[in-house]
Parts: sequence; structure tokens; C-alpha cells
Amino acid sequence: MAVINLKNRQIECKIVYYGPGRSGKTTNLDYIHKAFKKQVVGKMISIDTEGDRTLFFDFLPLGLGKIKGCDVKVQLYTVPGQVKYKATRQLVLKGVDGVVFVADSLAVRREKNMISLKDLHENLLQMGLSIRKIPLVLQYNKRDLEQKGLPIMSIEKMEYELNRQLKVPFFSASALSGDGVGATLQQVLKLTLQSLQKEFNWAQ
Amino acid sequence: MNLGEKIKAYFQEAEIYQTQGLLVESLEKFRIIEGLIKSSQNIRNRDGLLEKLSVRIESLKKTIQRLDGSNKPPEASPDAQSLMKEMYSFDDPAAKGSASLGGAIALAKFGQYDKAIEEFNRLLDQDALRLDAAKNILWCWLEQNYADYAVSLYQKWRKAGMFPPSEISVIQNYFNDLIKLKGLNLELEIDGLESQQTVEPDSELDEDELLDINSTRFALPRGSREGEKIEMEVSFQSGQYIRMIIPRKEKELIESIKPGDLFKDMVFYSSMAIFSGEGYVSSRSEISAGPKKGDTSLEIKIIKVVS
Repeated sequence: MAVINLKNRQIECKIVYYGPGRSGKTTNLDYIHKAFKKQVVGKMISIDTEGDRTLFFDFLPLGLGKIKGCDVKVQLYTVPGQVKYKATRQLVLKGVDGVVFVADSLAVRREKNMISLKDLHENLLQMGLSIRKIPLVLQYNKRDLEQKGLPIMSIEKMEYELNRQLKVPFFSASALSGDGVGATLQQVLKLTLQSLQKEFNWAQ
Repeated sequence: MNLGEKIKAYFQEAEIYQTQGLLVESLEKFRIIEGLIKSSQNIRNRDGLLEKLSVRIESLKKTIQRLDGSNKPPEASPDAQSLMKEMYSFDDPAAKGSASLGGAIALAKFGQYDKAIEEFNRLLDQDALRLDAAKNILWCWLEQNYADYAVSLYQKWRKAGMFPPSEISVIQNYFNDLIKLKGLNLELEIDGLESQQTVEPDSELDEDELLDINSTRFALPRGSREGEKIEMEVSFQSGQYIRMIIPRKEKELIESIKPGDLFKDMVFYSSMAIFSGEGYVSSRSEISAGPKKGDTSLEIKIIKVVS
């Protein structure tokens, strides 16, 4: 839940990167950490294990400076994608204001994307939130693997399977090189701040 | 695409999946390659290729097992644990309006049991929170499969009169429900009367398995030297029980170790090997006669050997 101090004109909100295991959530945060150094206002915390799998979460605090008279800070989190860490994902999602769903474009991960999106929907419901109402952006990651000869799903197919009912903004990406990472983050921030404006009327 | 090109394409795919950490998908591709090679007699060095594939497949299977099999979460850094504590809002009913209780619950939910128990133990001093702290302590021990230790802890609280009858009754009911949920067969009371003997944790070891231990090292659990690792010479061993003598002048050391303490990170030194394991302080008593009169005898039961 965003912390909004209208007296001091300060906002702090939480964005969670969700998605199946190995889809590129941590890679997104790694890129943001390197590419947006000026906006990083604290330590990046990554808790992973053998094989670089996120175990609990990654955390990256950003400061966006003044937006419409308010000092805006953002906490970016990732969740562990493996199915067995459901309880951890529920904990990390607490207080979420905006979500980036990082889908894996590899054809072999098609089912994992859908299972993970369903998992997000269920966890949000348990928290009294709706996947249709929360600020949400889809990222179709690993587009670059097509050049290596690997079978990836077309954007149309991914849109049909993941976004035909949600109809939220989506971005192609290759998080390893940074393609699409900044645009995804920008969009989710925009949607989140707009949503908070509707709720709290914070902007001057 | 001829067979050779197909195999090459699958191999490339399998390799990339492996670098991506998609080990199951990689394994599937290697199995397909294995199937293709087995079904063809015309491949040069067929047996050699199959042997190399078999090694690759076995290695992948072991890695998958290792990554998926580990259930005990590792200890996170202090920074990460601080963040974990913040994730549980003190608005949540379970936190009862207390950031400390909520934070400790969050640590427990993240599997940071040692840190969580440390925080819950502090809350045992607070009247409003001690009941919830006690329940959560027992939950943490059960989650780590230390059921016998949880029972001995509950009995210790009961014997020490740490909680009034109404609260101990709540703890007992909660504990009984937890035990049933876990499918454990443990008795908290015998014939409706309180058991006079504290239950010691069972040892996983056969007495014959243990080498003669010369000394042991472990971290002190409390006091001004808390966390300091000390090594003690073993003066006597009987099966899983080892006994050490603490000189009477080491008052602080004596007070920092109590019966019921569980050491999860002990190192045991024998003349043939060094191994690590877990032990439980089964008794601590002053020696009343003989050349060591006035010194303290400390007895530890070794309950697990981990390496």
C-alpha cells in the first residue's frame, strides 16, 4: 500500500515484478540498477541460491525526484518464480501498488506463463485486489532468443493467451540487453501514479 | 533436415536452455537426442555419443534434484531480514498492532526460524504479546522438524510457571492442534497428569556409529559472549552423551549454557575425523565431590551428525 504524506508532499509506492521462474524478473532489476544509477537511492538486495534462482526476493529502491510537486520514491521487488515458493510470493505482494508481469517468450514456457498469471490473479484476490484493476503491464521477454534459432511465441500468440481479457499495455523486451526494460518500468510507474492520483488526489 | 542437422539443432536448443537455467527443458531435449541416436544404427561413434549423453543427462538430473530438493531456506543477510520484517504490516490482525510481533512472524514465514525465534523470545517478556510469541516459537520448532525439542520447551515453560493456567491451557490446545496437523504422535501429558520428566530430543544416531570424541566446538547461546565459538575438551563419553568439565572460575561461561539448549552448529573432533552435527544440553550440575569439586559438569546429547 502506497505511503502518501500529503503534508510533506511525499509518496512511496511498491512495484512487484511477477512471472514464472527464469523469465527475467531479476534481470530486469539488474538492468535498472545499472542503467538508472542516478535514480537508485539505496542498496539493491538480491537473495538467490545456486543457479542464480531468486530465493526470497530482490529489492531495489528508486527515487524519481519531484513529480507534480511530490517527492516520489518507488520500491521495486521481484518474487521467486518457482512454483514451490507460493507463500513467499504472497508475502512479497503485500502492499503492492503496481505489477509488471514478465512472461517468457520461449515456446517451451508457454504453460508456465499461464500458470504464473493465474497464480498472480489468485494471490491478488486473496488480498482483496483485482488483477483487472491493479496497475499492470505485461512484458514479453527474451525476444532476442529467436535470433539464436530457438522457437519463441509470436507477440500475437502471447497477447491472445495472456492479454486478451486483461487488455493491459505490453512491451517486447530483451532484459539481458535492456531492450524494453526502461519502457516497461516507465509505463507501470505512469499507471501506478495515475491510480494513486485517483485514490488520493496527490498531484498539485 | 537430415538426422545430423536435427540432432545438432536439438543440441543447440538443449545447451541454451541449460544456460537459461531451464534445466527440465534442457533435459527433455537431451532425452530426445538420445532417442534419435538410439533409433539409428548409422551414426558414427554411436556408442561413444550415447555414453557422453548419458553422463550429461545424469548430471542434469542430479542438479535438478539438488535445486528442487532443498527445503530448508538459508539464512538471509541482516539487511534482507530487516526488509522481511517490514513486509508484514502491523495492521494485520495476526500482528496485534505490534510491529515487533508482525516482523517476527514475517521472518518465520520466510523460513528465517533462528532469527524469528530470537525475536519471539524477546517478546516473551511482554504481557500482551507473550502468548502469541510462545505459540509462534513452538510453530517455528515444529516447522524445522524439532518436535521433541518443542515438547521439551513447552514442558519447561509449564514447570517454570512461566504462564498462568489460562494461558498455558491456550498454548497446550494450540500445540496439540499443531501436532495433529503434522500427523505426529507425541504426548504432552500422560494420564492427565503432567509428566515429571522433560522429554529429550531423540537422537538419529546409533550408539555404535559415533567415534570417540576428543573435543567439541559450539557457539555460546547467551550472555556477554553470545555467539562466541568455544571449544571444550570431552572428559567422558557414553554413546551419544558427551561430558565436559567447566572450571568453577568460569562463572559466566557456566551461566551462559543451560539445560535444554539446542546447538545446531556443533563441530566434533575425534582422532580420525572432524564432523559437524547438533546437540542438546541434557544436564548441567555442580560436581559435589572429588578433585573437581565445585567445577560444573556439562552433558550434551548428540542428536544429529550432518557431515
